[in-house]
Amino acid sequence: MTKKYIYSKVVKKGFIDILPLNLAVIPWGILCGSLAIQHGFSIFEALLMPSLVFAGAVQLVVTELIANNTPLTTILFTTLIISSRHFLYGLALKRRFNNVPGHYRVSIAFLLTDELFALSTHRKAFQGKLRLLYAIFTGSFFYFNWLIWNIIGIVAGSYLPDLTTLGLDFAIAVTFIALVIPTINNIPTFITVMVAGVCSIYFKINHWQLDLVISSVIAMSCGYLSYRLIEKKINKKTRDKGSVK
Amino acid sequence: MKIVTILLIAMITFLTRYLFLHPGIPLRIGDKLSQFLNFSGPAVLTAIWVPIVFFQNDQVNLTYNNPYLIAASIAIIVSIKTKSVYLTLAISGFVFILLRVFIPATS
Repeated sequence: MTKKYIYSKVVKKGFIDILPLNLAVIPWGILCGSLAIQHGFSIFEALLMPSLVFAGAVQLVVTELIANNTPLTTILFTTLIISSRHFLYGLALKRRFNNVPGHYRVSIAFLLTDELFALSTHRKAFQGKLRLLYAIFTGSFFYFNWLIWNIIGIVAGSYLPDLTTLGLDFAIAVTFIALVIPTINNIPTFITVMVAGVCSIYFKINHWQLDLVISSVIAMSCGYLSYRLIEKKINKKTRDKGSVK
Repeated sequence: MKIVTILLIAMITFLTRYLFLHPGIPLRIGDKLSQFLNFSGPAVLTAIWVPIVFFQNDQVNLTYNNPYLIAASIAIIVSIKTKSVYLTLAISGFVFILLRVFIPATS
């Protein structure tokens, strides 16, 4: 097989793999773009968000916060907490990109979203140089797709003032439901999700500015503590069994 | 001022993605920290989607004319049964659109 043939195969696979995810973020992109305009962002500022921040959840939450004149530290802290799951993605991918030169690492990090991570950890993923090509191609395709739907949202938001009442935010809720529910296969994760849900309602009713941060941190702590407790119990059981023998 | 804020936000989102990919950063973080971070995905995503589903016009709406609540319940059931992201999106999206057409908006 020639090099060209293999490359075109990688690109083709990347295109097909990322296509459904490109479609799933359409309502989300439109909502992000139009929300920014409706909250008084200039077109340039609204463009800067998807081009540089490139993170759906952060963009949505932060657009509201900026519009409500929230203090900068609250905005940045909220961003850090929402993005904290990306620490894990980098950590998990590091070994796979061990021999990759620095500037490629920067581009992969920039393109590293929940969606790209889901694809790159797939069991049938490409190896070595092809993995790099695959990741950069699918990541860029996803990036430009995100940019285009944000721009469409910005244009639509400038002409149709009532776009946010269409219920586009349901697309976000349901995407997260579809991502979270299958991960609940153990008790600590179940506890995390329940606590996050109850706390988010409680803090929102009481209009706490850091509601998202506090709910997330409390839920993560509950999940982590229950994980440790269960682990301890299992260790104790196996130790007891060992001593009987 | 907004532009500076956006640039700072972009720096944070990039740094969280890049930090552990950087060649100079040692591979390991503590087991405890990585176990703690394991719960950040479900925690953050849930803390975002639950208010979208339960609140309408800044108030909790638990009645049957909240289309978000009904369609989200269906999404949860489909997700548990099929574990498929696409079926969950398609079925509950369809239900949501139907509900929006037939339930008059409360606002």
